[in-house]
Amino acid sequence: MSSIRFERISRTFRVGGQLVPALADIDLHVDEREFVAIVGPSGCGKTTLLRMAAGLDHPTSGRVLVGGRPVTGPGPDRAVVFQQFALFPWKTIRDNIGFGLKCTGVSRAQREPIVERYLKVMGLDGHGDAYPHQLSGGMQQRVALARSYALEPEVLLMDEPFGALDAQTRIDMQEELIRLSRVHPRTVLFITHSVDEAVYLADRVVAMDRRPGRVREIMDIAQIRRSEKWGELPVEEVMDLESFNHLRTRIWRLLRRGDGEASGHGVVDNPPLRTQPAQKTKLRRAQ
Amino acid sequence: MLRQETRVPVWLPGTLSVASCIGLWVVATTFEFVGPARLPGPKDLWESFEQLMDPGYAGGTLPQQVWFSVRLVLAGFAVAIVTGVPLGILMGMSRRAEALINPAFLVIRPIPPLAWIPLAILWFGLGNGAKIFVIWFGAFVPALINTYTGVRSVDPGLIAAARVHGARPWHVLFEVVVPGALPLIFTGLRLALQASWTALVAAELVGAFYGLGRVLMTAARDIYPGMIAAAMICVALLGASMTYLLGLAEAKATPWRNR
Ligand SMILES: Nc1ncnc2c1ncn2[C@@H]1O[C@H](COP(=O)(O)OP(=O)(O)O)[C@@H](O)[C@H]1O
Ligand SMILES: [Mg+2]
Repeated sequence: MSSIRFERISRTFRVGGQLVPALADIDLHVDEREFVAIVGPSGCGKTTLLRMAAGLDHPTSGRVLVGGRPVTGPGPDRAVVFQQFALFPWKTIRDNIGFGLKCTGVSRAQREPIVERYLKVMGLDGHGDAYPHQLSGGMQQRVALARSYALEPEVLLMDEPFGALDAQTRIDMQEELIRLSRVHPRTVLFITHSVDEAVYLADRVVAMDRRPGRVREIMDIAQIRRSEKWGELPVEEVMDLESFNHLRTRIWRLLRRGDGEASGHGVVDNPPLRTQPAQKTKLRRAQ
Repeated sequence: MLRQETRVPVWLPGTLSVASCIGLWVVATTFEFVGPARLPGPKDLWESFEQLMDPGYAGGTLPQQVWFSVRLVLAGFAVAIVTGVPLGILMGMSRRAEALINPAFLVIRPIPPLAWIPLAILWFGLGNGAKIFVIWFGAFVPALINTYTGVRSVDPGLIAAARVHGARPWHVLFEVVVPGALPLIFTGLRLALQASWTALVAAELVGAFYGLGRVLMTAARDIYPGMIAAAMICVALLGASMTYLLGLAEAKATPWRNR
């Protein structure tokens, strides 16, 4: 049992004596072993939502359930991969990967083979005794992935995990992630700025609005992914598929509020600051 | 294009500056630009060290005086570490502890350690207790402040990362907070060590039966510049070597910062 349910979540922050609604009325679920990606402009509350599932933040109203139980705090059953890696600078790569195991009481002798396996899986052989600052950004992110994977958590929460990587490394990491989820499917909540990334990785893509953050639309692409076997193709081939491009264009339109403006370059940031009620947009789209 | 290779070894400038200071001193004293009553020459200094070694001076030989002072410094410094560092961690981690301790700390902190000497003598007499107390106070303040600052400077993102990977509070403390604060803790300890020596010499100047401060005080009374210089050099060398040892300990404790 490892589904995630957000039930009528809202979250208000108090900033300088003023109440700022960050999330309003979010209803969302990630089924067991499903990969759900959230896209949306900066500040629409993606991180806040993920932190609630992690137990690092709490809703002002509504509740978050993981595996049917309300989340009360962080736990090793819901490992988080952060955008800024958040590796421990004072620990070697080996000790970073083994950190969660150590905290959950796995003995040194039992940790060792697991850590070695992930060093190999992530292509980090020979770097086990290095410190994080001695590695490139891509390698650091692989360490962060390994640290979360080593716990074999039922739920993985990823907050723009590849956002700080260069384009080439980013694509390598996306393929890596697809490969890992094929070997061992998990429940994944994945946040990204990139529409391409969301469509390439996810079973369902959630598009969000901001001020306050709301779910605009949810798109189910599991069917297409499965029937066209995206998981077995290299990124560039998937991105060449008509179905892929159709989907990404649709999401782009959604995020640009359905108007006819030119599309961007795969990254959703700073969209036009026009706010419209969700209903109105829906009507327009229905026309 | 001609480009001259000018490679200066790293140790050269430092050695040169120290050597020229010594050279200046030798020249100034041998040709008596400065009289021996004000600044002792190399010969005076050597004789003072000989006297300090063999019959001894101010109640003891050099090793005895050194040992006496070093013991007090180590005692006061150690007590400052075991009180200042944990209290700094506690204040850095708990708002409640901070609210409780900080006001009291803010009141006593501006009191110079040396201003405690009279009270310390009233409380503990002229013995070791008063000196250890004064050294402790001098060293405690920088140890606590820097530890506190170090703990507060730990990236909250790393604490969150620890917690979502199963860290319990003691894991957060010992695997994240303490190592994250360690560089600043060591900065605090370096300042605390310097403060320890300052406080020691001051405390021994005021009243002591043994120690390098006692040597200094007695030599001043005897108008004995060679001995004054000898004791000062001992304090300098001891302070520098203890700071050096602390640096070694720091390198050992924070291997991730070594290149
Ligand atoms: N701790 C906080 N205090 C005040 N405001 C916050 C806090 N965390 C997030 N916010 C606000 O909530 C909104 C959503 O933030 P965030 O979840 O980080 O968005 P995203 O990850 O989608 O960029 C933003 O307007 C942000 O300024
Ligand atoms: Mg974010």
